[in-house]
Amino acid sequence: MLEIKLRKKTKTTLSKVILFGAFFIITTVILFPLFSLILSSFRPGRDLMRFGITFASIQPTGLMFDNYPPLFFTGESNYLFWLQNSVLLVLFQTVISIFFSSLVGYGLAIYKFKGKKLLFAIVLVMMITPIQILILPLYKIMISLKIMNTYLAIILPFIISPFAVFFFRQYSLGLPRALLDAARIDGVSEIGIYFRIMTPLLKPAFGAMAILESLRSWNSYLWPLIVLRTSKMFTLPIGLNALITPYGNNYDLLISGSVVATVPIIVIFIIFQKYFISGLSVGSVKG
Amino acid sequence: MKNLKSNLNKLNPYIFVLPLIITILVFYLYPVISTIIMSFQNVVPGETEFIGLKNYEKLGNQHFFAAVKNSFIYTIITIAILIPFPLIIAVFLNSDNCPGKKYFRAAFFIPSLVSVVVTGIIIRLSFAASDKSIVNAMIGWIGIPPQSWTVEGPYHAMFLLVLIATWRWTGINIIYFLSGLQNIPKELYEAADIDGANGIQKFLVITLPMLKPIIIFVTTISIFGGFSMFEESYIIWQGNSPNNVGLTMVGYIYRKGFQSGDFGMGSAIGLVLLVIVLSISLIQLRFWGFYKKEK
Amino acid sequence: MKKLIILLILVFFAANLFAAGETETETATDEGVNQISFWTFQELHLQFYEDAVIRWNAANPNRQIELVGEVYAYDDMHNKLLIAIQSGVGAPDIVDIEISKFPNFLKGEIRLAEMNEYVNPVKSQFIESRLDIYAKNGKYYGLPFHVGAAVMYYNTEILAAAGVDPYSIDTWDDYVQAGLAVKEATGKPMTTVETTDQWTFWPMICQRDSDFFDAQGNVILDNATNISVLEFLYDMVYKYEIAVPAPDGFHHSEQYWGAMNNGDYASILMPMWYMGRFTDYMTDLSGKMIIMPLPRWEPGGKRSAGMGGTGTVVTTQAANLDLAREFLAFAKLSREGNIKLWELLGFDPPRWDVWSDPALQEPNKFTEFFLNDDLFATLLEIKDEINPVSITAQTPDLTDLIRHTVMFQALQTREKTPEQALTDAANELR
Repeated sequence: MLEIKLRKKTKTTLSKVILFGAFFIITTVILFPLFSLILSSFRPGRDLMRFGITFASIQPTGLMFDNYPPLFFTGESNYLFWLQNSVLLVLFQTVISIFFSSLVGYGLAIYKFKGKKLLFAIVLVMMITPIQILILPLYKIMISLKIMNTYLAIILPFIISPFAVFFFRQYSLGLPRALLDAARIDGVSEIGIYFRIMTPLLKPAFGAMAILESLRSWNSYLWPLIVLRTSKMFTLPIGLNALITPYGNNYDLLISGSVVATVPIIVIFIIFQKYFISGLSVGSVKG
Repeated sequence: MKNLKSNLNKLNPYIFVLPLIITILVFYLYPVISTIIMSFQNVVPGETEFIGLKNYEKLGNQHFFAAVKNSFIYTIITIAILIPFPLIIAVFLNSDNCPGKKYFRAAFFIPSLVSVVVTGIIIRLSFAASDKSIVNAMIGWIGIPPQSWTVEGPYHAMFLLVLIATWRWTGINIIYFLSGLQNIPKELYEAADIDGANGIQKFLVITLPMLKPIIIFVTTISIFGGFSMFEESYIIWQGNSPNNVGLTMVGYIYRKGFQSGDFGMGSAIGLVLLVIVLSISLIQLRFWGFYKKEK
Repeated sequence: MKKLIILLILVFFAANLFAAGETETETATDEGVNQISFWTFQELHLQFYEDAVIRWNAANPNRQIELVGEVYAYDDMHNKLLIAIQSGVGAPDIVDIEISKFPNFLKGEIRLAEMNEYVNPVKSQFIESRLDIYAKNGKYYGLPFHVGAAVMYYNTEILAAAGVDPYSIDTWDDYVQAGLAVKEATGKPMTTVETTDQWTFWPMICQRDSDFFDAQGNVILDNATNISVLEFLYDMVYKYEIAVPAPDGFHHSEQYWGAMNNGDYASILMPMWYMGRFTDYMTDLSGKMIIMPLPRWEPGGKRSAGMGGTGTVVTTQAANLDLAREFLAFAKLSREGNIKLWELLGFDPPRWDVWSDPALQEPNKFTEFFLNDDLFATLLEIKDEINPVSITAQTPDLTDLIRHTVMFQALQTREKTPEQALTDAANELR
């Protein structure tokens, strides 16, 4: 007995070590260029031209803080506005889009009704439609609604994320019908069932979609570009991109600006990570 | 009284999907119809006129075919890589056996946070043609001569594109699978343990089937993602890849629609893309038994 | 506490939701101050116009201007502009349009204001070809920033090591001989050739009075002159082996700057506006580079061409159309304005009668960097040797083809002969 236990223990430890080692190597390779770039943000921008990304560039030599203060403290730079816009947009787009998309996805999964298949098919088609071809007509709509250069114009066409609808639908397919039936027998309204019983079960889905919708909103480019008209309203990617010019790129601000730009998203990720850890077990129907 | 209630109940599903219906009508159907109309026009300020199928006829050129070919190859390769590997990694990250889970999860995810602009700089610098660039230095260790990655040819180009895609999207697919894995009741695994099942058996018999809806989801969006790939190529070549090695369908839309200012043709390309991808998706969903009767 | 924070954020957001953007610029606010909106893709251009506004306001106290400028990334700005012009709404008053995108805005009903009344009086003091490229059917729409004279930048250190005197290079044959000497003495390539951009090929065919299109707009890409130029480039790379394809294919790549800075190549053919790249990215070359006219093809041949460029236009959507036009003319067509083009932007001003002005002899970062005693003396030498280039509606498509098929197929993969590459591309456009 003891032998078997010991053997099992070494087996587990060995596999732990191998796993850790493999992941460690992989993630180091993945993160190396980023690390090098972060270090480059502490050097003059043009050193990036001289050194590039080589093994030499990760030595912590010649570091200085000069590239960061101009982002925040010069009157010229609108960086803080860009950051504010991106953060606010991400927060609100994510919350609004998840709220509505989950409702819709759930509805498509749980109920049988006329036109369901059609609606779902349209959702799929929406996902694949390249936004580039819709830009011109959408622009005209926004102009006629007179809401150019506002957050509303950015958010409105995308209140429903077809992508999230799809995901919530798939996820909801796995929800236990037994719970649903039990609640109906108890006389709970459909909306009530959704908000009180199903929502807690959808937590991991909310967590995943929160992160992914945040990312999509954070990186979204073409539509905000077309809709926004003043520099103070730009989102971060658009503003940072303006530092790349045909006459040469302002690497000093670009790299440091990009480093700072990843911080809010990392924070969002860390916050929502725990929705995965909870290890919710869905099969909680007794008997 | 009962009739009223049951009638109201019938409305319920529609309440759930109402936001979708409104969004579709206003922000989707109208623009799409506009686009369809534009595809039959020569769209020029003040002088837009109907030209029938001319835009579609113009699609019979080497650039369009290159774009279609590249999009197909790219999609196939990325699906082959970006579904199995993140899935397996997610399974490991989910198990109690894995030390440092939180760190690794974040580590895989971080590349997707990096902006397109910065990713471009990283790629261009890491894969620079000189022999001191990090990638050329590394392949030098195993005796391969330095390559001009961005201009060498179609195989190098595809390699770069797939590499960027893997770097950026592995973490995200891991998250999808992780969330799906959370949904699998632990009791199932415990029961299997009692029956003496080993790791692989548990994976094949419990994990995979329970993950089916999520796998379908990831496959479908990967098909979409593959065909609508634009940024990865733009990152490296800014829409100007030598010999069209990096040209994708959406890249071609961008080239015709914006760079040449021909919105009519851009619309035509977009619609063709739509039709192609829809057909593929339908076939794919059929394969998974999607439209079979629901239980 | 948490609830309070959430509430605060909500309020803040709601406040921004509708009121956010200061919407369209309103003109004629108080007492004759007019707003003029301006889009560009280059911060430096904005600074140029801001300077012009200061001078304008000093000279026109009753018609003050407030410039509202926005800087976007290059592609972004042109995309936005295209949508705005196409839909007829939302364009700025004044905007920069780069030459390769310019034809897109000359299609159909041209929604740009014509500037003939301002251009005609001073035309003869300009390098006229630089005004013509932004014109159509005799109407001038865009005003240029520079001549963009194509020149040769030599690394004198490398040349000296090979015993070559840059002043002795007069023809392309001389250039090849110099290249062979450099190769012999140092093993370095004399120059790099762009395989994914047009700045090597285009100036060289212009020198020989050729072009991509003829004056009527027909495709002449595959004429005999162009073919022989491309074959010459081919020979430089593969027969004489004094040139190599540029790393990453073009001269605006980080890789190229690093290599050139390192002293890997002896010379480069680029327009005058490329000077800024040297001062920004290739700082180790300070005091080693000299700017010379291009080698000629035959005795008496031309030694330069006008390359690249950005034209500033006034859109017909401008609220104060005449004011905007007058201001643009003031900024770009005046002597003072052209002097500022050099002082602020380091550009070779398109108005050649200022080239002899003492202001252009003042030292600045360019005169410090390059070995030339008098940059503008060099320019004056070649002033009449600059041919116009023909810009047509097909120019964007054609430059695309040059950049991603012709040069590449002929010089990098060598899958087509120069003749074939040019003919195929020409046929595609016909």
